[in-house]
Amino acid sequence: MSGPGACESEFVVNAELGLHARPAGQFVALASRFDAEIRVCRGDEWVDGRSILSLLSLAAARGTVLRIRAQGVDAAEAVAALGRLLESAGETEA
Amino acid sequence: MKIMEILAKDAVILNLGVQSKRDVLAEMAAALAKVEPQIAADQLLEVLLEREALQSTGIGEGVAIPHGKLAGLDRLVATFARSSQGVEFDSIDGQATHHFFLLVVPEHSGGQYLKALARISRFFRDAAFRQRLSEGESVEDVIRAIEEEDGKL
Repeated sequence: MSGPGACESEFVVNAELGLHARPAGQFVALASRFDAEIRVCRGDEWVDGRSILSLLSLAAARGTVLRIRAQGVDAAEAVAALGRLLESAGETEA
Repeated sequence: MKIMEILAKDAVILNLGVQSKRDVLAEMAAALAKVEPQIAADQLLEVLLEREALQSTGIGEGVAIPHGKLAGLDRLVATFARSSQGVEFDSIDGQATHHFFLLVVPEHSGGQYLKALARISRFFRDAAFRQRLSEGESVEDVIRAIEEEDGKL
């Protein structure tokens, strides 16, 4: 997907325990600061980037490639910031 | 991994009568300790409260997944509790929490923890599943709903 206000990119989950409850919560908190609509994809399954339940359901262990797609005025900033969060080592506790 | 393999059926609570986060966790820990000899209620409560202090496990849609690691445990153990009136659980969306799915994991559970969390999240993100759990009139009804969901995925 492309066009005005759209941005999409792939990132590798780097938290030791993967995208577990706390990183997913941080992701949603960060995503909520942007106006853009945010979707996250693993393989061919797209989920709402503002739902912890949906993010957790992806079972994204460390090393998993996730695609983030944003649509809206701040789409590029949203994808960059959320991608940085996924690629940071994060917390080691669940 | 199937949820039915880790669910302590005899620890399921359908009518939580308590109002606070601490009391919910204490009741669930006590129920689990009764049926799981490896679990001590006070130790589990302490671990769960420590985890809640980092960030609430109230993850929205009326659902909380309190969890913690327990030394000496040899496998994952889970249970479920329900509160019809809802409990203020500092959830991310500010809504009251009705469904509590407690997950206790061994200290070195590796990828199992993430898989169990993913599976139960997949169940709970489905509004029809949440409704079945809300409307179940007996522990058997609730367990049947979980079992059927387990069979689908």
